[in-house]
Amino acid sequence: MTQMLSRRGFLKLSSTAAAVASLSSIPGTLGAMEESQKHYKGNAKFTPSICEMCTSSCTIEARVEDGKGVFIRGNPADKGRGGKVCARGGSGFNQLYDPQRLVHPIMRVGERGEGKWKVVSWDEAYTFIAKKLDEIKQKHGAHTVAFTARSGWNKTWFHNLAQAYGSPNLFGHEATCPLAYDLAMDDIFENGVSRDFAKAKYIINPSHNVFEGIVISYARQYMEALEHGAKVISLDPRLSTMAAKASEWHPIRPGHDLPFVLAFIHTLINENLYNKKFVEKYCEGFDELKASVAEYTPEKMALECDISADTIKRMAREFAKAAPKAIFDFCHRVTLTPQELELRRAIMMCNVLVGAVEQEGGYYLNKGAGFYNKFLGEGDAKAPVLKKPKIPAYPKVEFPRIDRIGEKDSEFFLAKKGNGIVTLIPKATLEDLPGVPYRLHGWFIARNNPVMTQTNTETVIKAIKAMDLVVVMDIQVSDTAWYADIVLPDTTYLERDEEFNAGGGKNPSYDVGRQKVVEPIGESRPGWRVAKELAEKMGLSAYFPYKDIEDYRLQQVGDNIDLLAKLKATGMASFGVPLLLQDKKSVAEFVKKYPSAASKVNEEGTIDFPHKIKLFSPELETVSKKGALSYEPYKYKEADELYFINGKSAVRTNGHNGNNLWLNNLCDDAAVWIHPKTAERLGIKNGDKIEVSNKYATQKGKALVTKGVREDTVFAYFGFGHISKELKRAYGKGVNSNTLYSPLVSPNSGMNLHVVGVKVKKA
Amino acid sequence: MAKKYGMIHDNNLCIGCQACSIACRSENEIPESVYRLQVWVKEEEYPNGTIGYEYHRQSCVQCENTPCVGVCPTKASHITEEGIVLVDVDLCVGCLYCVAACPYQARYVHPVTKAPDKCTFCHDTRLARGEEPACVTVCPTDALIFGDLNDPKSKINQALSSRVTYREKEKLGTNPKMFIVPNHKGGINS
Repeated sequence: MTQMLSRRGFLKLSSTAAAVASLSSIPGTLGAMEESQKHYKGNAKFTPSICEMCTSSCTIEARVEDGKGVFIRGNPADKGRGGKVCARGGSGFNQLYDPQRLVHPIMRVGERGEGKWKVVSWDEAYTFIAKKLDEIKQKHGAHTVAFTARSGWNKTWFHNLAQAYGSPNLFGHEATCPLAYDLAMDDIFENGVSRDFAKAKYIINPSHNVFEGIVISYARQYMEALEHGAKVISLDPRLSTMAAKASEWHPIRPGHDLPFVLAFIHTLINENLYNKKFVEKYCEGFDELKASVAEYTPEKMALECDISADTIKRMAREFAKAAPKAIFDFCHRVTLTPQELELRRAIMMCNVLVGAVEQEGGYYLNKGAGFYNKFLGEGDAKAPVLKKPKIPAYPKVEFPRIDRIGEKDSEFFLAKKGNGIVTLIPKATLEDLPGVPYRLHGWFIARNNPVMTQTNTETVIKAIKAMDLVVVMDIQVSDTAWYADIVLPDTTYLERDEEFNAGGGKNPSYDVGRQKVVEPIGESRPGWRVAKELAEKMGLSAYFPYKDIEDYRLQQVGDNIDLLAKLKATGMASFGVPLLLQDKKSVAEFVKKYPSAASKVNEEGTIDFPHKIKLFSPELETVSKKGALSYEPYKYKEADELYFINGKSAVRTNGHNGNNLWLNNLCDDAAVWIHPKTAERLGIKNGDKIEVSNKYATQKGKALVTKGVREDTVFAYFGFGHISKELKRAYGKGVNSNTLYSPLVSPNSGMNLHVVGVKVKKA
Repeated sequence: MAKKYGMIHDNNLCIGCQACSIACRSENEIPESVYRLQVWVKEEEYPNGTIGYEYHRQSCVQCENTPCVGVCPTKASHITEEGIVLVDVDLCVGCLYCVAACPYQARYVHPVTKAPDKCTFCHDTRLARGEEPACVTVCPTDALIFGDLNDPKSKINQALSSRVTYREKEKLGTNPKMFIVPNHKGGINS
């Protein structure tokens, strides 16, 4: 009777299990610290900074209240965000004082993923990493170590370290998030573009769920547009909060946004709804575009996207009529498809065709200092450009990068070095990639969590296990850290100063980066310090020509001390006045402020685009014969399967805040949304335990029966089903979408695929 | 004239993001097991066949005719001159009559003081500093409006005069000072 246990026996067993669980709690966490060592010293005044609870980087300010807690609010000086903060932002305090947070470097003592660690000093940690990196350099070459760091978090420091060490393999997280649209805008506009949602009259939104994957400024702008009576069309396979707020919701077939957009463009061109004057004057490649969409009639594409031809045509007409106050939102994630680059380019071209660019209520080019200054003549002050400390030339590397960015025949040639196709790292570790004469042997990961954020989790873990060295720097034992050799305790965003940032919306802007509100707890150290100290240990200190972050910032602003003071006091600064090149009123205001700009104004009272807008890409044509737009049907699922898609929740985002106490208590499960008819067919009731499976993985979860999803589709929030056992609140709870997704890397953009076929049954 | 505080929750503007709920927790040091404020999101099928979400703010509605104050034997539950319903922990004997009497299920028992507790419009924290309640200050889409009902020029009175609003369980005659702008998608145009 081995299956039977008496109640007493069960209690005995479970108490033993509890004891084991507490013993297995790793050393080096805040919870393991002596009470007497916990001295939280902080600033009682509100300090302006930037949130890090998700990747939106909203402006905040925070103060330590009576030495007991930290209160976080939006920065009231930021008009675009109205001084607001979301639930994730308001929960930052928990991250700081989480007992499960890591505050000492720890080193693996068991097998990878076994969860056995010992605390080491920083010096021991640096010595270990330096020695291992040297061994790999001797044995396989420095180029076989990949360095991944989050943008704006640690990239500056660790990419510097990587190149000083001799590796060209630098990566950010972009290929799992914004890379495709970044590449598309660079190709079409030779510049970044943003959207003026608040003033738009007509917005088409393909799954850009700004009310859940919250960017405060976007959420406010979309709401303002709706309040002003703008028509918002949501194309989304499930009823997101955005879809619920929209004027119309069309549950498009997952992964089939591109056929919709191609039919939309077909209608704009064939019904002469496009702005001929704008296209002739400012664009090139129109004839190629016209030819490329000729076959994509609304009637034909309606069968693909599951939105009727009449509806597509009606929307195209309404969109053209509302132009230039019209936006076809190029979105954030959509349902990432194998033709990401084509999709994002096609969407952007819709706005170009109707001339809704550089106009109020349409797209506008991002105007950082360099771009803005182009329109200023002699005699007027120019926008300040932030400088960088002078770093000596890096050692020359003979080997190509694994993604071969920068080489003419690389399919990913459009990407920038600092982005890198991070999704290729597992492949480059486990198999030979074409044109890459080596495999990867080491991975240095600063605040990135590929085990959680890349698709086909099993392959990512397999690759990590095959490495000679895996270093992770994070504030907790993340899912990736769980498999690392050594984990370095990073500071939270409330404990560190960062470099100043420069950017631009309608005019140049600057921000302070992050500012320290409390002193770092335990032995946690910020990225700038760790990279510099590790470089010193490796004899590479010449590549870090600054004393500390303060010195780095001083070198950034040069003699512009006023800018430095303003950034520190208010968190942000801007230069000049907003400029929309095609808006006469805006141009007049710009010339009034800067008389030297008069020479740039054309006879129509506007300013010409500095580059032609490309409706056909000669570069993509050379590399992949994909200069024109095209649609290649892709089989996401078998006939007896359902589409599986994911999206963001308003209270939990990404791989890193699921273990947060308050957020986890608000939502600790990613239930699987299933349509009532489908549920009935499968014999599933609301709340039933279910099994979601395909050839990649099997996940157990709970069913949420709702009409808010297509009959052929199931949906779950992502960032759930954590794999690290040290994330005690979030471990194993909810369906982990990325385990189910295929390892496909989209051509040209390197993006993951976020649609897959699954079978669902009662567990 | 003394101030009389009220609040509007606009169902059209609310996105159910729970920023208010977290700000309340943070500002008022609410223990984990209980809450003063949550937003409940419910899927709704409208008469025209479309579906959407309704957002219910679950918190004290600050009645003028207060069942909770009426049943309190020790005057621990009381209403201030500004119309805010409070509990004096020192006077509370823990009989929980007020918890039972509240038709809005707005009260919880504080795990440490063992006395009933509830939303106070941040009376002791924010209002004492001359600020608006924490939930109002953080709301990303400005779905909450707070202000003085006795001031004809206040933001809340302007909004009340221009929008259709209702109050929960009005027929009980409790006269709540929490007003709700119904969802337009529900078929009511304001």
